[in-house]
Amino acid sequence: MHELPIIKSIYKSVITKAEGAGAKKVKRVVIEVGILRDFIPELVQKYWDFISPGSIAEGSVIELRELDASAACGRCGKEYAITKENIGNPQCPVCGYRRGRLISGSELRLVGIEIEKQEKK
Amino acid sequence: MKDLTYIDLKECILSDNDGIADQIRELSVKKRFFLWNIMSSPGAGKTTFIIEIISRLKDQFRFGVIEGDVESTVDSLKMQNLGIPTVQLRTGGGCHLDAAMVMKALESLPLDELDIVIVENIGNLVCPAEFDLGADLPSMILSVPEGDDKAIKYPLMFSVCKALIVSKTDSLGIFDFDFEALRINTGKLNDSLQIFPLSAKSGEGMEEFCSWLKQEIESKKYQ
Ligand SMILES: Nc1nc2c(ncn2[C@@H]2O[C@H](COP(=O)(O)OP(=O)(O)O)[C@@H](O)[C@H]2O)c(=O)[nH]1
Ligand SMILES: [Mg+2]
Ligand SMILES: [Zn+2]
Repeated sequence: MHELPIIKSIYKSVITKAEGAGAKKVKRVVIEVGILRDFIPELVQKYWDFISPGSIAEGSVIELRELDASAACGRCGKEYAITKENIGNPQCPVCGYRRGRLISGSELRLVGIEIEKQEKK
Repeated sequence: MKDLTYIDLKECILSDNDGIADQIRELSVKKRFFLWNIMSSPGAGKTTFIIEIISRLKDQFRFGVIEGDVESTVDSLKMQNLGIPTVQLRTGGGCHLDAAMVMKALESLPLDELDIVIVENIGNLVCPAEFDLGADLPSMILSVPEGDDKAIKYPLMFSVCKALIVSKTDSLGIFDFDFEALRINTGKLNDSLQIFPLSAKSGEGMEEFCSWLKQEIESKKYQ
């Protein structure tokens, strides 16, 4: 459920940007989301389909690109990737230490939209 | 011919929120108050803990409370009974507080007369962690009955917090809770997280927490 308020903000942004560009229809919306947001791709499209009807974004596809997180080792400072696979047990690739500090992983970006403009005369 | 165009945006979705969170940080410096955001799942003991903190420290600091917890006008009544300026946020069943709500609440508090503003966030371990409120102390309460493995399930929440209060330690006889496992798990992504086991009911651990809190507040004042 936690995706919904964020999907609503994305929706607002998409509509503003698309209308500003003279769109007749929005076909595709590309977003980047850090894995720490724990977004479920299927749900994102469901919420999108729930919010968008009646607007120029109705029927559009939302493309979710997941971004790995990153952490800095608590001993040597090495920065390394935190993926869905190692998030439960991250370990520094240089010194093997298992404690660290999260640097990124909660990104939330509207990367782009594909729109259909008014038919050219 | 239909004309398809791709528009590059690279726009941060929560940038509005983060901008307001920055304004809150500036406001708290200008008006000299310490903003403390308390998050937890429902029933972990936020209200009980806040009341206990206020009754212990009210002779040293002037408190204000922003009450965001759902359906808890009960909670804000409790605060008002302590004589604490309290704003009840109407979140309409929302799952988190955002910076705009907190900014609005701050505007209706007598900030010149306050040293500490406590935000009781909505009971939820996911969404509140996603919204920066500009707090000096983002913190979380995990109650002993919830178990020590929560850190693995909610990595973002544990990463954004500076302090973790493990509440209801008076129930340790009934529930298993492995503090070592908790330290290991939280340390994976937040090795500077301060952990405070305590019970608002028995008072165990409250003094240690209060003296740490006082240091945090002083360190902000004399920056
Ligand atoms: N045993 C025990 N119960 C507590 C403690 N703190 C709170 N509680 C109980 O936990 C329940 C929820 O507390 P409350 O403060 O309303 O939680 P909130 O929903 O996070 O604000 C209440 O029944 C409290 O009496 C504690 O330290 N020990
Ligand atoms: Mg409460
Ligand atoms: Zn290392």
